[in-house]
Amino acid sequence: MKLDTKRHYLFVLALAGTLSATAVSAANAEEAPKWVPGEPYPTELLKNYPCHDYELPCGKMNSPPVERVVFKGPLQGDAERGEKIAINLRWGNCIACHVLPNHDGGTIGPSLRQYAARQAPLDYTYQRLWDVRYYNPNAHMPVYGPNKVLTHQDIVDVMTYLYAGK
Amino acid sequence: MKNPRMILHLAMGVALTATTLGVAAEELLKFDYWPGRENAIPHVSGDEKFSDTYQYWKDEKAIEQAKKAGKKSHEMNFKDFRWAQKSFDAEPALEIGKGYYNQKNANGKSCASCHGENGKKLEGIYANYPSYNKRLKRVVTVGTQIQTCASERLGLDWPETSRENVLTDFYVASLSDGKVIKIDATKPGPIKKSYERGRDLFFKRAGHFDFACASCHTPPTAGSYLRGQRPTTFFGDAASYPIYHFPYALPGDDYEYVFTLQHQIKSCQMLSRMYPGKEGSPAMTDIEVFLKASANGYKMSIPGAEYNMDASYLD
Ligand code: HEC
Ligand code: HEC
Ligand code: HEC
Repeated sequence: MKLDTKRHYLFVLALAGTLSATAVSAANAEEAPKWVPGEPYPTELLKNYPCHDYELPCGKMNSPPVERVVFKGPLQGDAERGEKIAINLRWGNCIACHVLPNHDGGTIGPSLRQYAARQAPLDYTYQRLWDVRYYNPNAHMPVYGPNKVLTHQDIVDVMTYLYAGK
Repeated sequence: MKNPRMILHLAMGVALTATTLGVAAEELLKFDYWPGRENAIPHVSGDEKFSDTYQYWKDEKAIEQAKKAGKKSHEMNFKDFRWAQKSFDAEPALEIGKGYYNQKNANGKSCASCHGENGKKLEGIYANYPSYNKRLKRVVTVGTQIQTCASERLGLDWPETSRENVLTDFYVASLSDGKVIKIDATKPGPIKKSYERGRDLFFKRAGHFDFACASCHTPPTAGSYLRGQRPTTFFGDAASYPIYHFPYALPGDDYEYVFTLQHQIKSCQMLSRMYPGKEGSPAMTDIEVFLKASANGYKMSIPGAEYNMDASYLD
């Protein structure tokens, strides 16, 4: 599988990440709780994203920069795993907003039941899932990629499930 | 490929702060907001700028007519039950709250010693809260005020998250049932400032998903179904709080299923993976001021029913 990911803003982010990683002590890193997808999200980790507070650092944080990504395929993920991710409310949770192949769901986003038939370009779908703001800054869909809700592999698997259409 | 919106946004923030606005505004303007912030006004009729449903739920008569015309709950912003219906199951919880209100401390004093039998002197006040407490020099929720009175005047430790506090709060709120909400968020002063900060927090994107409160609580999401749940626009909701929330309580807590507005805000933060605020904190109080002022002109309805047991609205 070939992945060509252009990450203009991410370049800056990656740099900042390296800097802070060296600044934070190793002991700290060991203690930090980890999120296991499918499990409840550890409250402590939520401090890494903007929050409603005037004292905590997260109260001064901003949304992550919009990330433009490019995906040329081929699409050869694990459809079964993708389906699990899509319907798990503590993972991809697409079902909260979308009707899916084989599953009824929320009505906030368009139905994805016939998504395969639409033959949408892979690049379009990948970008939508990684960072929807590139197409529509006000689409009410989680910012999956930049905030590490889903990984590249997760997204490829979900796409494989959608494009299989069953 | 740069994102034009973000650049425009930041540039605007800088230009505004440099010229027209003071230092405090600088803090607020740099955030990434959900659209609609500038359309919010501190009155329940402000809903007209957000959903086209206000006409169907603006008062009891409108709801009756809308029901007769076959409107569904989501077309009445769910006010047909969350606001128009009273919860009979809540009576025992109110009784417990009244018990706390009358409960004497070691010196034989209770809330009633200062605020009157059956809460006489607290009648109607809930419709004007949160309010600025001159002595504490800050805006307080009723919960914060109860915590203060309990500790300073009765020597009781009733933090805003305690069972005693929440149930007393519920009882005090019931003394304002039917009273029209009035939070003066237009006169320059601490309440107006608090409203504006709260509004900005409500529209600010936050958390793991990068949602704002407004992402779910403005159309098109408000009025549609989020896995069977029913988000409303933010207008008028505060009129039913504290609400009797059977069968749900916050995880780990037991308040006899009573949700104050602070609990509701926190519960939504948890639901949408935002770092949950602390009840009564300045930021959480600001959000409450914003929500309560967005119910200005609407009658308090305590104890309201959280759930519509008739599930046909899901059809
Ligand atoms: C909080 C609600 C929400 C969640 C959760 C959500 N979406 Fe969406 N999605 C939307 C909305 C709203 C749109 C329409 C956006 C627009 O109009 O630009 C959309 C659009 C899309 C589209 C484009 C559809 C088209 O016709 O072009 C795809 C594909 C998609 N979502 C897939 C997913 C997948 C896969 C997941 C789970 C990993 C997911 N969404 C999770 C709300 C959501
Ligand atoms: C010793 C007298 C005293 C006692 C006892 C007392 N309070 Fe108060 N309360 C006050 C005063 C004085 C104020 C005015 C605000 C302030 O100074 O904090 C007040 C304000 C309030 C308010 C806001 C009223 C308004 O008009 O805005 C509420 C609500 C309240 N108290 C509830 C309670 C509750 C509930 C208890 C029992 C836990 C209690 N108080 C116990 C003296 C008392
Ligand atoms: C992911 C979507 C989502 C987000 C984001 C969200 N909420 Fe909610 N909210 C809901 C849903 C769904 C309900 C109704 C729950 C139900 O059906 O019982 C609700 C209910 C409420 C209510 C009570 C409404 C009523 O009818 O009485 C208030 C007030 C509220 N939310 C405030 C907030 C605040 C403040 C924030 C930001 C901290 C927020 N919400 C963020 C989905 C959301």
